[in-house]
Amino acid sequence: MRELSLHILDIIENSRKAEADLIKIKIEENLTDNLLKIVIEDNGSGIDQHKLEKITDPFITSRTTREVGLGLSLFKSAAESCEGDFEIDSEINQGTRVTADFKYDHIDRAPLGDITTTISNFVASSGDQVDLVYQHYYQEKCFKFDTREIKSELEDLSIQSRQVTAWIREYIEENLAEIRGGEAF
Amino acid sequence: MTVKELVDQFDLEVVAGPDLKKEIDGAYIGDLLSNVMARAEKDNLWLTVQGHQNVVAVALLVELSAVILVENFDYEENAVQRACQKGVNLLKTKKKSYDLACSFCESNI
Repeated sequence: MRELSLHILDIIENSRKAEADLIKIKIEENLTDNLLKIVIEDNGSGIDQHKLEKITDPFITSRTTREVGLGLSLFKSAAESCEGDFEIDSEINQGTRVTADFKYDHIDRAPLGDITTTISNFVASSGDQVDLVYQHYYQEKCFKFDTREIKSELEDLSIQSRQVTAWIREYIEENLAEIRGGEAF
Repeated sequence: MTVKELVDQFDLEVVAGPDLKKEIDGAYIGDLLSNVMARAEKDNLWLTVQGHQNVVAVALLVELSAVILVENFDYEENAVQRACQKGVNLLKTKKKSYDLACSFCESNI
């Protein structure tokens, strides 16, 4: 995919379909070690061991069970084509964790892309059912966003309501710009 | 035009040819698989530099007539196996995508 944020969107959609009610996204931009790391963890229904072994085989997921799609296969090859690594662990009824590493300055690494839109759109469409924790590290600086904390301040207002998601969007944008020191993605 | 006729006319190498009678309708060029999934059309030829098994999966999903790996790149072995199993045609050429596409264009493909 053209942007890594689209891979992230694809994975958290999987989590939602697996009936997770908490998804944790961690993005680490470690320029010192020339590493970009993305970890997505959910508490959904999980994947059994047998299926997990073949989860990135596109033919297990492409035609017969179309609902899963090529998403994980593409994410894996995106990481591997940038001298990175890809891992997926899962336990039934506990959840799933997807980890992708990229060599930060690899010429074929897709840009992170519009992560603000990915997060805020997901909250706007599924925020009432699914909580999201998003942590973004840039070198030593860190920004953390947790829908559970926002909900506790909201009282009767839905987190999916327009004024809240507009605020979330701005909040993420400002904080990302701050930890990244105005550095563009 | 069928894939078999294309192979003969443009001197392409058949790496996996389980269904060479397939009819061709146009072509698409690209190396970003998600984009090919979104934009290529049924029965298109697909010119690319990617030779791994995800390519076969995309060709199958979009129902492409054949994949043409350009610039003398090689397909991975599991891609060739999968293609034979799933009925996806895999071709290759030494030419660059642009040059091959130009010769296709001259023949009204």
